[in-house]
Amino acid sequence: MVCPVYAKIDLTTGNVSDFPISQEYFTKYIGGKCLGARLILDLTRPGLDPLDTEAAFIVNTGPLNGTGSPSSSRFNMTFKNVMTGGIASSNCGGQFGVMMKKAGYDGLIITGRASSPVLIDITDGDITIQDASSLWGLDAEETQEKLPGQYGKLVIGQAGENLVRYASAASGERMGGRCGCGAVMGSKNLKAIIAYGTKAPHIAQPQKFKRFLKKWIRFIKKHPMTGQSLPRYGSAGLVNKANATHALPTHNFKYGHFESADKFSGETLAETALTRNSGCVSCPIRCERRVNMDGKEVKGPEYETLGLFGANIDADNLDFILRVNYLADKLCLDTISLGSTLAFAMELREHGLADFGVEFGNVSNLEDVIRKIVNREGIYSELANGSKWLSEKYGGKEFAMHSKGLEMASYEPRRSVGMGLGYATSNRGGCHLNGGYLALLESVGVLSTDPQSPNSKPQLAVFMQDALEAVSTSGSCLFSAQTFIPSIFFKLGPTHPVTRLVGKIATHAGGVVALLLKFTNLICFNSLFLLPHAESLKLVTGIKMTTGTFIDLGERAFNLERMYNLREGLTCKDDNLPDRLLKTPQDKNRKDTVVPLKKMLPVYYKTRGWDEKGVPTEKKLRKLGVI
Amino acid sequence: MAYYITEKCIGCTMCARLCPVAAISGEKKERHEINKKRCVECGVCGRACPQGAINAPDGTAAVQVPRSKWKKPVIDTSVCSACAMCVAVCTAGALEIKKPEKRGDIYVHAILANPKKCVGCSLCQRECPLEAITMKEAE
Repeated sequence: MVCPVYAKIDLTTGNVSDFPISQEYFTKYIGGKCLGARLILDLTRPGLDPLDTEAAFIVNTGPLNGTGSPSSSRFNMTFKNVMTGGIASSNCGGQFGVMMKKAGYDGLIITGRASSPVLIDITDGDITIQDASSLWGLDAEETQEKLPGQYGKLVIGQAGENLVRYASAASGERMGGRCGCGAVMGSKNLKAIIAYGTKAPHIAQPQKFKRFLKKWIRFIKKHPMTGQSLPRYGSAGLVNKANATHALPTHNFKYGHFESADKFSGETLAETALTRNSGCVSCPIRCERRVNMDGKEVKGPEYETLGLFGANIDADNLDFILRVNYLADKLCLDTISLGSTLAFAMELREHGLADFGVEFGNVSNLEDVIRKIVNREGIYSELANGSKWLSEKYGGKEFAMHSKGLEMASYEPRRSVGMGLGYATSNRGGCHLNGGYLALLESVGVLSTDPQSPNSKPQLAVFMQDALEAVSTSGSCLFSAQTFIPSIFFKLGPTHPVTRLVGKIATHAGGVVALLLKFTNLICFNSLFLLPHAESLKLVTGIKMTTGTFIDLGERAFNLERMYNLREGLTCKDDNLPDRLLKTPQDKNRKDTVVPLKKMLPVYYKTRGWDEKGVPTEKKLRKLGVI
Repeated sequence: MAYYITEKCIGCTMCARLCPVAAISGEKKERHEINKKRCVECGVCGRACPQGAINAPDGTAAVQVPRSKWKKPVIDTSVCSACAMCVAVCTAGALEIKKPEKRGDIYVHAILANPKKCVGCSLCQRECPLEAITMKEAE
């Protein structure tokens, strides 16, 4: 067994040392998100400010990263969440992770603060810290152009330098968007990390792995979701689906349907600005949109950006969304937190609570406002703190659309109540992915459970959260897991009686899911149709891995993150949603269009093996082997 | 293990310019050196060296091959998934993902867009997870 190679870098002293990962840690925590959570628990003391000198910033990869396994260029950043004070893990598909591994490192643990701007250079296994004063003040695009071409790069823009709390980091055109990783890098005076090397990743069973990859990639290409829908429309294809089911946040999540949503839908995008689809390195799905923006081909927006800079601010200007997406990426801002904070500011104005000069339906001054936020000019500096901070100062907590402090993605939870539960329980705050992404099984997918019913949602949320954690840990993109919905349902369509019947059955299958979660050892096989990542991980690492143990791995990661949150003072009280979603029905005539969180939470805790206060029991933690 | 440069080297810089992983360094008209950590043993330097100054890892002297005889990637387009692993390693810029012929065409694959730039390093073949690339001598 070849254990991953990690380095510890103290930017205050400039010390670089190897950080050995034991065989036990490797077998148990594998890498990426899960190992990141373990290490941040181990290596940091409680109560630190996220931007403290002592705070740790962990960048690591999973075992599949760079092996050719489909959609496996994802690397992970773990740190203390700038928005919530809990755990943060930000996942990015740029080339940096692959290159860091080729350069000889699977992960970096960065602490301290450099006295002036620096960059970390990893070349052929040698780590050096170099002056980066000349790059400070440049945006992500300019910074990367100035760095050597063949290197994998992870950089921040002006937002990170100015400690905008939702600043992101960029690798190529890919963003590690959420939780403020850019601000953490900025607080350390770390402008960039670059890596280059030619070391081939270790693969325990190369021949079998090659054979398996061929089968898996063929399967992905043939699946209607990963082989057709995502490459054709990208995540942008969800706009019309969410709008049809009233799950498209509109007017700061007040409504769920926007009359002219089609003007910025994936279909419209495909017919107008789209030049081609593209993808991260190693990805056969290729969901990236390449779009023509004022004569320049740039990366197009994802669904979340379209929703939050479209319907959620009452706008339908696709050209504006393309520009703002490009601008936010260059300056390194999380478009979800940014969009939602702007919508909140608009509603503050509507209620006469505060006036930041932004109003619903008017996008003409927003690009200017965004620049002012990044430069922290005057009152706009307050918008750089996010909606939770604003609601604490100006009021309006009932419509500050965040969970734990992190703004929610563009799925209206009152029409996907399981997604609501996911937002409330997600360890990093209002995140659809860490929250289990039940919207896919409620309002934007082909196979839908009853979106208003709390039945089976806690169990499904636990299953999905664990599965997605494990996929991230392996180093793969979550989209590669979308093949678990059998292709037959795509062929039949969402309205076919069989699809609807299966959806209905799934709404009442909570007990079965809970049983499976309890006895994961029964899933002692690997299948292309469920989570092929388990087999891939087994062949690459040589660690015995079945789909059951793979889900256990995700559960371990999720519980570790929860332990970190509890340690940092987040409790069950923080597993909450704004009153708008809990008390005000989206449709006045339908009382069930609220999120019945109080009904779902106790069942969720019980399914997780946590006590009634949402604390993992000692028995559960022992079973998972984390204590 | 890595290729290495002998004292026959006259510092013509040919190998350094062609090396796909920028592993060779040296001043003009001075003996060059191969970075052992980085060398991927593709043999491009050996095939290009006009002096026969480059030895393979086993010590045998590499033989110069005229550029027209260097092998180039042939892509089985029916297998290629356009994952761009090959494009990512092709520092010569010879490979690209084909542009769609019409708007909305998602059926694309890797192509040898700039055959003249190809140095025949075969890194693309090594990286391809589907074994869709074979290195063949141009006819």
